[in-house]
Amino acid sequence: MDTLRRLRGPNNEGILALVLLSLFVTMSTLSPAFFTVGTAFSILRSATVPLIFALAVLIVIVSGGIDVSFAAVAIFSAYTAVSFAITTAPELPALVIIALALAIGAVLGLINGVVIARYRLPTLIVTLGTQGLFVGVMYTYIGATYYAQLPPSLAALSSLSVLDFRTETGRASLHVMAVVAIGLSVLVWWMLTKTMFGRSLYAIGGDAEAARRAGFRVMRTQILMYVLVGVLAAIAGIAHMVMGRSANPQDLVGNELDIIAAVVLGGASIFGGRGSVLGTVMGVLLIQVINNSLLLAGVPSAWLRAAVGFLLIVGVGVQAVTARKKARRVHTLDEPKAEHVVKGGAS
Amino acid sequence: MVIAVLLVFSIFATLNPRVFLSPINLQNMGVAAPEIGILAIAMMLAMLTGGIDLSLVAIANLSAITVVMLYSAVASTDQALAESLTIPILLAGIAMGVACGVLNGVLVSGVGITPILATLGTMQILNGIAIVVTGGSTLYGAPQALTDFGRTAIGPVPLLFVVFIVIAVVVALFISKTPLGRKIQLQGANPVAARFSGISGRTVLMSTYTMGGTLAGIAGVLFLTRNPTASADYGSSYVLLVIVIAVLGGTNPNGGFASVAGVVLATMALQIVSSGFTAIRLSSYEYAIAQGVILIGVMILDYLSAQRRLRKSRGAPPRVPTPPPTPLAVTKDSEQS
Repeated sequence: MDTLRRLRGPNNEGILALVLLSLFVTMSTLSPAFFTVGTAFSILRSATVPLIFALAVLIVIVSGGIDVSFAAVAIFSAYTAVSFAITTAPELPALVIIALALAIGAVLGLINGVVIARYRLPTLIVTLGTQGLFVGVMYTYIGATYYAQLPPSLAALSSLSVLDFRTETGRASLHVMAVVAIGLSVLVWWMLTKTMFGRSLYAIGGDAEAARRAGFRVMRTQILMYVLVGVLAAIAGIAHMVMGRSANPQDLVGNELDIIAAVVLGGASIFGGRGSVLGTVMGVLLIQVINNSLLLAGVPSAWLRAAVGFLLIVGVGVQAVTARKKARRVHTLDEPKAEHVVKGGAS
Repeated sequence: MVIAVLLVFSIFATLNPRVFLSPINLQNMGVAAPEIGILAIAMMLAMLTGGIDLSLVAIANLSAITVVMLYSAVASTDQALAESLTIPILLAGIAMGVACGVLNGVLVSGVGITPILATLGTMQILNGIAIVVTGGSTLYGAPQALTDFGRTAIGPVPLLFVVFIVIAVVVALFISKTPLGRKIQLQGANPVAARFSGISGRTVLMSTYTMGGTLAGIAGVLFLTRNPTASADYGSSYVLLVIVIAVLGGTNPNGGFASVAGVVLATMALQIVSSGFTAIRLSSYEYAIAQGVILIGVMILDYLSAQRRLRKSRGAPPRVPTPPPTPLAVTKDSEQS
């Protein structure tokens, strides 16, 4: 029983891994074409942008907030940088364009952060407001043109693969952006678990007032965090454009829920203070694999939206029910058995 | 809030009097306001308990779709029968809203999911179902009586607007006069205190979200009075707008305080800004910017005035509360444009 509990992990990562694994096995037995390096790489490819977004959302959720403006930040910063490059300086090197996008993302994140941290406002409502604001500003002042071609330096990135080899079923290639996403996951994992900044995010998410009294600089940490989230969103925006080989201002916004669902499925608590990169990665993969399998199984794509909503409800429902059980256990702390359970859950 | 309404009205009236003050524009505002206003009242109820209901627009769409599909199914065989069945069909549409509200209520109060996530999930599910049912296209056809109803006016006032006011009054009386309304307020003000004073949080949340769903169902039927079409993505921008209206109307997003009169006035103010933007030829994206600025501006001003009150009450005995700062935000914004 104890080993079982340890396998589950602090945020249910074990269960998630089990679900993923069984999904892989069933898919592979049902259709042998599923179990190839090519499929793995293509799932990784389709998971790239959601994964970067999910890392940003994870950071916010760990700190006890919820952000729905990240897609708007992503498309705003990437589209602005790219359209600037196309219209005024088509010969700009890719790094400069990316840096420009990241800077814009940082500024937009700063706006979110200052409004939320300085005035202690509900994050959902503020980011709903900034979402409308950012999209409106982009369409009104920056433009709404669809660019079918990226600037040459960025376009060169589109076909850049890190691994590229022939298999029996075709070519398998690992896109450079997928590697970027993996690198960012490691970076965020390191930041959340090994740095003081990461610790303070968990502390704020656990209880902002307690963190303040314990000497954490809550406002500064929150603002810095939203800047970081803006930068991550901008990277996701650029990755989306590079992989799609076009700049469409109407992309991304509207699919925020898929990302939030993935993060919550990955064990992050919506009340803050809990969540891990490992769980988030698996949550994103789970949604991608399910989407992929539903399509392969011939389920019409219109159902995907409902399926994600359903998954979210089930995921959070399980969380809510277990939280309630745990709360009941705390009341009976004097029983030795209950204490044991609490310890087992924490380790 | 009254001042704000008059202020924005006069601003746009002076900017483009020929278009803005035309009877058609004024009537249009009266006809367009109710559907958004009723959704905002539903949002206000959820916020009153300290929650939020993001699925309202999806519910409204689904109930409109229900009405259109039932009507066209009957009308394809017998047109006259379909017209005579108008009232049962409309009730079916509203019942759809009630059912969705019950679903939200079960998730929030029974299972214990945070309202944001529960309604985010149901929004997605209901929206997905709507897409599947309609095949992503717009459906046509609604009872003639409904369209006629939308065109009727008592003197200069559209009948729809009267319906809106009646619903607002009923909800206002419900909140302030009935025991359940009191309980909703207490639940939002302090859930723990409410529980210890014997209020069943479950019953309160259940009835709040059911009521929200019912109001959304009514709003969905009202969609059809303006335009006999229904689709899955109608009014997707309303989600933000409805929250803006509720917050602008003085609803505290943390729960415990709200005023129906404030929400009605905020609906009017936003409707005036919207028509005004059209009258002076600004795009809907600029309107989206305005919504964002107004929402954040109002919340910041609320925070600042609360701080000021706090500081005052520390030094001196409590004073008369400062008037709501909303007019400032609205003027600042409209002048910008």
